[in-house]
Amino acid sequence: MSPSPAEVPYGTLDLMVLKTLDALGPVHGYGIARRIEQVAQGSLALNQGTIYPALLRLEQKGWIESQWGTSENNRRARFYSITRAGRKQLTTEADNWARTVEMMSRLLEDQS
Amino acid sequence: MTALRVLASRVRALLARRRRGDADLDDEIQTHLDLLTDAHVARGLSLREARAAARREFGGVEQLKEAYRDQRGVPLVDALVQDARFAVRTSFRHGSFTAVALLTLALGIGVNTTLFSIVNAVLLRPLPYPESDRLVQINTTTQGSGPASYPDFEDWAGESTAFERLAAFTNRSVAVASDGLAERVSALQVTAGFFEVLKVSPALGRTFHPEDLDAGGKVAILSDGAWKRHFGGDDHVVGQLLRIEVWPTTDEETFTVIGVMPAGFRFSVSAPEQIYTPLMRDPRRDASFLRAVGRLRPDVSVAAAQAQMDAIASRLAERYPASHRDQGVRVAALVQAQVGDTRTGLLIFLGVVAIVLLIACANVANLMLTRNMSRRHELAIRNALGAGRGRLIRQLLTESVVLALIAGALGALLASWTGPLLAAGLAQHLEAPRIESARIDFRVLAFTVAVSLGTALLFGSVHAFAAASPNPGESLRDGSRTTTIGTRGRRTRQLLIITEMALALMLLAGAGTLLKSLFALRTTAPGFATANRATASFWLPNKTVANDAERQRFIEGLLSGAGRLPGVESAALVADLPLSGAWDSFGFGIPGRTRPEGEGFAANFNIASAGYFRTMAIPLRAGREFTSEDSAGTPRVVVINETAARQFWPGENALGRQITLGDKAFGGTLTVIGIAGDVRQMGLGEPPRPEIFLAYTQPIPPWPWLVLVVRTAANSGDLAEPIRRLSQALDRSVPVQDIRTLDEVLSGSLAEPRVYTILLGVFAALALVLATVGLYGVVAYTVTERTHEMGVRIALGATQGVIIRLVLHQGLSVVLIGASVGLLGASLMTNVLTRLVPTAVAGDTPMLVAMSAVLVGTACVATYLPARRASRVEPMVALRYE
Repeated sequence: MSPSPAEVPYGTLDLMVLKTLDALGPVHGYGIARRIEQVAQGSLALNQGTIYPALLRLEQKGWIESQWGTSENNRRARFYSITRAGRKQLTTEADNWARTVEMMSRLLEDQS
Repeated sequence: MTALRVLASRVRALLARRRRGDADLDDEIQTHLDLLTDAHVARGLSLREARAAARREFGGVEQLKEAYRDQRGVPLVDALVQDARFAVRTSFRHGSFTAVALLTLALGIGVNTTLFSIVNAVLLRPLPYPESDRLVQINTTTQGSGPASYPDFEDWAGESTAFERLAAFTNRSVAVASDGLAERVSALQVTAGFFEVLKVSPALGRTFHPEDLDAGGKVAILSDGAWKRHFGGDDHVVGQLLRIEVWPTTDEETFTVIGVMPAGFRFSVSAPEQIYTPLMRDPRRDASFLRAVGRLRPDVSVAAAQAQMDAIASRLAERYPASHRDQGVRVAALVQAQVGDTRTGLLIFLGVVAIVLLIACANVANLMLTRNMSRRHELAIRNALGAGRGRLIRQLLTESVVLALIAGALGALLASWTGPLLAAGLAQHLEAPRIESARIDFRVLAFTVAVSLGTALLFGSVHAFAAASPNPGESLRDGSRTTTIGTRGRRTRQLLIITEMALALMLLAGAGTLLKSLFALRTTAPGFATANRATASFWLPNKTVANDAERQRFIEGLLSGAGRLPGVESAALVADLPLSGAWDSFGFGIPGRTRPEGEGFAANFNIASAGYFRTMAIPLRAGREFTSEDSAGTPRVVVINETAARQFWPGENALGRQITLGDKAFGGTLTVIGIAGDVRQMGLGEPPRPEIFLAYTQPIPPWPWLVLVVRTAANSGDLAEPIRRLSQALDRSVPVQDIRTLDEVLSGSLAEPRVYTILLGVFAALALVLATVGLYGVVAYTVTERTHEMGVRIALGATQGVIIRLVLHQGLSVVLIGASVGLLGASLMTNVLTRLVPTAVAGDTPMLVAMSAVLVGTACVATYLPARRASRVEPMVALRYE
């Protein structure tokens, strides 16, 4: 039995979006959502709509920017890309995350 | 840094709505959904299935939009506009609810605004002088705030550095003669620099210079009123002459007018001064008669000035221990020094109206809790459609704010009518400067807005947090009309009712205390008859007082003339009229008894003419009163009151005993020839003090004041004109004033406690009505809520009496808890009130019991009406009631 998909842990969506944009270059919301789902391989229950407030949040912080373009199916779509400040933020956040994970695994191994 | 950038972006978005408007977001979402749908179609789903799957994966579109909007704008402002629109719409839909809530709040805010407009006028509004916040008054600490001597003032000015300038002033009563006819007016003697400290320039002429004093100080400045009255507003008044007599220093003298102050300028608090004359130097260190006013240097605080004056005061105490040992100095902001005791009263009443407002708040909170029941469906739906808990609370709070602001506007409107009304009423009876200028100004409006918002937060948060429970499924499922508010809601309402009852009892107890003390005062016998008696006050010129023959001529002329006036049955004179509060204490000796140095006998001395006690119907307990036989040539005699007899000759017969007075002019050995009943000299609330009467026909102190009392036949006409003509015929330079009946004197002495009692009574009644209406509303609602249950009980055989008892029990148990809490507050309240009306008794048990009975009785009625309705429920109707 495969584990049921987890909710998106609080605060991690921003990091996922930043990493995705860093990897893919300019891409629209649907592309970001699909990429996150692909990488998660079914282990994440993402309401795709929730990435839009996250995108707005990141843009307000100046970590990503956006411009209007045309999608694969010829619809008007907004394409997002990461900024220099965003890359810096991504590095910091990724480091933090790695440290947290390391700490958590050590803690959990100790206990077992 | 980042936070700043986010804020900037949000504000930009708010200003430029189009930049990322809802339409853009819709486009983005639509593209997303289309792409998702395409992907599903590519995997082999039908178009319909693909669309459904896409929506499922995407999540709630409306919730997303809500979250997005919150992130985009400055959400408070955004939501506020939306909520406010909604609030107004909803309020119109719930007409009767809105009307009751508005009325309650408007009353609460209205009385607060009314009182604040008076506090503002008296305490807060700056005095009408430039940079008036730097003005201070300096008094000594003798008897709270006492006067200082001229040398003190010179030392204060010479040794302090805190002030730009100091000046001294003293209030004087002067007689001004125009066309030979004298008039008594209030005057101010001031040192040079007085007007400069206040930074007020005269409208005409100049102010006092130090040289004016060297030249004898016979110069005067007129108030605008005196200028118009005595000189008809003549522009060439400077240099003209005015006959003025300043008591007790000078005989009538000619002063040269050197200036006129602008209209509206007035320094004295009680009687507006008409004339300013120079304050002459009095070299005696122990003659305290002046007060100082100063302007602080810009960088000096009142506290710093106080510290400096403390140091000076202790140096003076060392130098002059005899007179200054215990004399401190107090520096107070001028505005506060002028208000004095009235400040306490105003602050107490500000607290009282705040309590009324609290009750109104509790009422409205209860109303809203009730209304939320019928709105649960609406709230649940809004919640399900994507409004989060925070957003719902915000919406409910916005509704409260809109309601409170409208109520505030109504309250301000109410206050613009009641404020001046109350101010005019108070101005007649209280000594409060500038009270008549109370009006709704910018500061009062700001207060009203602040109070309205505070009110909204208070009642709004109670109901908003109770109502916005994030449980839409449950509410929608059992959203039938019989849903009750739940245990927590019931607790909240009971707590609110308890609060209302407790607060109402506090005010009732306060009103009861004042009422009782007023009643006690009214039933206090003044010790003399007031019906069919009139009185008039005279003030003899200094030259007449100094000349015994002149004085006797006037006194005899006045007595015989008054006795012949139509309707007058008897006439007499006294120096200090009972109830006037005027008294003069002298020390005296009793032959054969020795007392330690400095602890001699002292009593209030008064002067009476023959027939005074008969005219006033003051009973004689023993001996006789003065007659025309007692004269300068016969042995000196006195009449004493009962208190004096008891105090100085305890257990003995005072009649025939002797006292000695040391004064050169009117001293000697005097024999007690009569003992008269006590009268209330100081006021109805003050116990009588020992009093000794001298006879007008024998040597007496040089007092210029003189009061005529006459006993008239019933319905004799107004005596004011005849008395005035009589006085003028005797001596045109004797001013007459205060021609009144003794009934007016008696009721005037009760004016202040009466004003306080009426005011507190009105507020307590308002509190009682509000609290009762609140209780009624809650009980009536609970009964409706339990119609079904009542139906079952009746169907099972409960009688009407049982149902009524059931409802009464539940309602009244809350009331009784409230009353018990209120009793604690009530003793606090009555304690505070004794500072306002000294004769009031704090924590008086019978009164507290009576007021609790009033509260509980009213509550019984408010509970009984819905209880009776509940007991008449038709069981079949109730059981079908859903």
